[in-house]
Amino acid sequence: MSGNLVVLGVALLVWGLLFLYLIRLERRIQDLEKS
Amino acid sequence: MIARALLFVWIACAITAGFLWAPLVPVLGETTRVFYFHFPAALVTCLALGWSMVHSVLYLRSRDLVHDDHAAAAAELGLLFCVAATVSGSMWAKAMWGAYWNWDPRETSIFFLMLIYGAYLALRASIEDPVRRARLAAIYSSIAFVAVPFLVFVVPRIYFSLHPDPLINARGKPDMDWRIMVSAGAMLVGFTALFFWMLTLRVRVGRLARRLEDEAA
Repeated sequence: MSGNLVVLGVALLVWGLLFLYLIRLERRIQDLEKS
Repeated sequence: MIARALLFVWIACAITAGFLWAPLVPVLGETTRVFYFHFPAALVTCLALGWSMVHSVLYLRSRDLVHDDHAAAAAELGLLFCVAATVSGSMWAKAMWGAYWNWDPRETSIFFLMLIYGAYLALRASIEDPVRRARLAAIYSSIAFVAVPFLVFVVPRIYFSLHPDPLINARGKPDMDWRIMVSAGAMLVGFTALFFWMLTLRVRVGRLARRLEDEAA
């Protein structure tokens, strides 16, 4: 069970990092579109 | 921003449901979890390549470069999801069948798909004139997509496969616990929304790049 929770944690972490990356990318694109 | 936050929560909940709520398939054991990434990635690949084909046809009809942006972005993302499905599938194959690659009909099909769409991106990269690039790529993509339903849905049903019966099978109902289906369905919805978000970003980057090219010219 604990191994299962570790994999779940890693999966959620990876998703969180991808999400943050996409949010930052979207902001950067918005700035470039305005300039 | 609310839609983005909802997508974040949706996928996080779907992952958690797959790990903590849905039961394990006895034969697959803990590797059942791979299904929640492998299955939606494979289906979103088909969706992305179909989207690319539709916009290629629309480009050939209208000659509007916005459709070319959509076709190129969808093909790139389709290849990305295809790689995700292949990598997750290979890891699953190693655990269940003893080898990362077995030339199973589905594995062979996805290999050919990657070759076909890798060639599409190589074709795009080799032509500088945007209008010529858009026209040739649209013709290629429209024809290439004919292979997708054949390779993904027909070939694996004709030949013996190590893969289990597909969800749409001869008995007319999937052999799967409803909680697994709900979790996988939620991941599929999440992956589809993620695809469209990434597609929008890629199209906007393409538009910015064209604006820069126009300003430089």
